[in-house]
Amino acid sequence: MKSSRRWSTAIKSTLAVSALTFLAGCAKDAPQDTWQPAGPNAEKIDNLQRPVFYVAGIVGVIVFAAVAWVIFRYRDRGQALPEQTHGKPALEITLTVIPVLILIGVGVPTVGTIFDLAKTSDTEMTINVTGQQWWWEYDYPAVGDNADVYGISEPIVTSGQLVIPEDTKVLLRVTSRDVIHSYWIPKLNGKKDGVPGRVHLLRLEGSEPGIYAGQCTEFCGLSHAYMRMETVVLSKTDYAAWVANQLEPYASPSADNALAVEGEKLFLQQCARCHQVNGLLNPDGTPNIAAPDQYVVSGAAPNLTNLMTRNTFAGASWDLLTPECRDDVWNASSAEFGAKYLAGVSEDCLNQKDLREWLRNAPEKKPMYADPTKLTETGGKYRGMPALGLTEDQINAIVAYLLERK
Amino acid sequence: MITTGSKFLYGLGTATTVAAILWFIANDGGSIGVVALAFLAVALFFIGAIASFVRDGHVLSTETEAHASSNAAQRGVGRSWFPFGTAFATGMVAVGLVSSPGIFKVGICLQFAMLGEWLIKNWSDRASSNPAYNEKVRSWVVHPLEIPVGGSLLLAVIVLSFSRIMLSISKESGPIVFAIAGALVLFVGSMISVRRGASRRIVGALAGVVLVALSGAGIALALDGERHELTVAAEEDHFAHRPCGEEAEEADEDAGRAVSAKSSVAATVILRDGRLFAEMDGWAGELSAITLQRSNPSNILFINEDDHEHRMVVTYGMITEDLGGGVSKDTVLEACTSLIGKGGTQAVSVVIPKPSFASEEPYSITVPGVEGASIEIQVP
Ligand code: HEC
Ligand SMILES: [Cu+2]
Repeated sequence: MKSSRRWSTAIKSTLAVSALTFLAGCAKDAPQDTWQPAGPNAEKIDNLQRPVFYVAGIVGVIVFAAVAWVIFRYRDRGQALPEQTHGKPALEITLTVIPVLILIGVGVPTVGTIFDLAKTSDTEMTINVTGQQWWWEYDYPAVGDNADVYGISEPIVTSGQLVIPEDTKVLLRVTSRDVIHSYWIPKLNGKKDGVPGRVHLLRLEGSEPGIYAGQCTEFCGLSHAYMRMETVVLSKTDYAAWVANQLEPYASPSADNALAVEGEKLFLQQCARCHQVNGLLNPDGTPNIAAPDQYVVSGAAPNLTNLMTRNTFAGASWDLLTPECRDDVWNASSAEFGAKYLAGVSEDCLNQKDLREWLRNAPEKKPMYADPTKLTETGGKYRGMPALGLTEDQINAIVAYLLERK
Repeated sequence: MITTGSKFLYGLGTATTVAAILWFIANDGGSIGVVALAFLAVALFFIGAIASFVRDGHVLSTETEAHASSNAAQRGVGRSWFPFGTAFATGMVAVGLVSSPGIFKVGICLQFAMLGEWLIKNWSDRASSNPAYNEKVRSWVVHPLEIPVGGSLLLAVIVLSFSRIMLSISKESGPIVFAIAGALVLFVGSMISVRRGASRRIVGALAGVVLVALSGAGIALALDGERHELTVAAEEDHFAHRPCGEEAEEADEDAGRAVSAKSSVAATVILRDGRLFAEMDGWAGELSAITLQRSNPSNILFINEDDHEHRMVVTYGMITEDLGGGVSKDTVLEACTSLIGKGGTQAVSVVIPKPSFASEEPYSITVPGVEGASIEIQVP
């Protein structure tokens, strides 16, 4: 009696845990859900994985039920050992042929999908995607159709948020500057590793304007968990506006914004050795050329020319928008989304808290190998951004300057 | 009483003591080596003393009558060719002194080896009146040295012969010759293992013949010299000048630096009918401009379909070093393939640290000698 009660408790708690685990899979707000495709590539995967999942599920249920039934039906009740036989060709052949048929049924469409997803001949736009500890850089080369059709007359370099036109077959050339990373926007396609010295191709296409979140899916060191990314899909007209804005020439802060003028000076002293701002001039009038290759292990730091046209920073791990403004953009209908995204970050919407914390002490916010006393191994180079010891006044000036970068 | 066995140990002990003193002098005092050698000497003298005490273990010290009749007390005389070897080595030393230091060094080593062998042979010949037993005693002492040293020498001869043969025969016949040789070894080996009866003598003789043939071929081909391209490259002093310049003439006829081509190429550059163009994943057709990610290793593959030999040169800006005192040095950043003939393929790998707008000259891919052949490289 006692033991059967203990058993029923065990069974009940097992059921409860399974149900909880199962329900946890049904989150309402799940931006990285592979079951909600938002583009043709992801749909192809979905069209394959659903039937496979059902087939596997049915097979699984049958097998589990059969095992459970055998365990119960033939449990040891002290009966004599049944007759032992060896070999039953008819049964064995059947049990081999059925799985083979099922696997062929699954295999043929799988191979077809693999080839479909590897196709590159229908590419309409090509973007370079480069991973490094712990953020993604995107560069939009001014080569071929990028220049001729999409108006990218000069290369555009951004980070964190990839911006692509709607219903356009984009091909990403994925690589890495240090260790292996992996690019994955679950709603748009499968994942693709970025491997140093290799270029891997990944198709990406979104059929609905909006923001699609993802996350580096290859463990890449200390801040792997803070290496996120987003892909922003804009309608074709909005995309043209976005490109035009990115290519607009640099303008120094006007004299009546004294704080931003001060910020530009500070930026040249403190930040410009790592961060490129296209068009920024040195005090002697020569163009400023950042040299991240001398200070950072990966040889790169985010290009800040148009920082405030994106909504996130530092590996898309923090928002540049306040929570209210962010919700406004994320929850916009697809008709309104473009205009809201293109508005960028205004002074009222700027997430001052996180950006200031970053400028005050970046390695404290995001773990990075940026302790200047421990850099012998890398020849004095940082992984990530070091703490620069700025005063609050300096941070005010720099924030004022950064707010104009859009 | 100093018995035959203990004599050996005392001798070794003395040699070790001398070695310890020499080590001490050579290493300016205080060294772990001296301590180790001194301990070894003490241990050897100790064991030597025990060997003396027990008359090499042949007779009990109490059995005094047996002392004279024991094996250790007998003398047999064996024949030895080590005096001849020593004399030969001495001759080599003399010849080496007047001709080349190499011969002198080999002579010295050989002299030591022969003297050592002679010493041990003499010693073991006195072990007993039984020559077979004496030979066994000798082998206990010298085999741990003779076998590894002899084996290494044999290996060195084989490796050296192989390398001389490979450097001398042409690139085309090399793979065929060595494929056949490998197949033969495999075949003979399996024959021997299948036919259990094969006598040791036959196998030994076979191995001997092969060794002689191999080293003979090695010596002959070493005298014949290396194959043409290698000789030319050496004469041209291939590494003394800028390999991308016009003056580098040596061509890699059958360009083989295409390994990276198989791994991953960022762009393929083709010279065909006097036109230079690029192909890249992601763009259809022929490109006159390519894009490479900054600060990132990129492999560029060059395919020469022209009748003449050509090389591809990638130029990506200039660095200016300040040497102080108003003097600065400009270094053009460039990378190139070697000259390759028609149908040849070669890759270069470049890491471009600065964006293209940092340079006044556009970054480019060119082929020296082909007018107007240029592809722009865009680095964002
Ligand atoms: C030693 C090089 C270095 C210096 C100097 C430096 N940074 Fe950074 N910064 C980085 C690196 C590397 C990252 C990327 C870190 C990450 O996301 O993991 C970064 C990230 C950022 C980001 C986030 C950008 C994005 O798109 O995600 C901002 C904003 C930023 N830095 C501002 C500044 C400012 C302002 C200064 C000067 C006060 C400065 N940085 C100085 C290396 C540097
Ligand atoms: Cu990563």
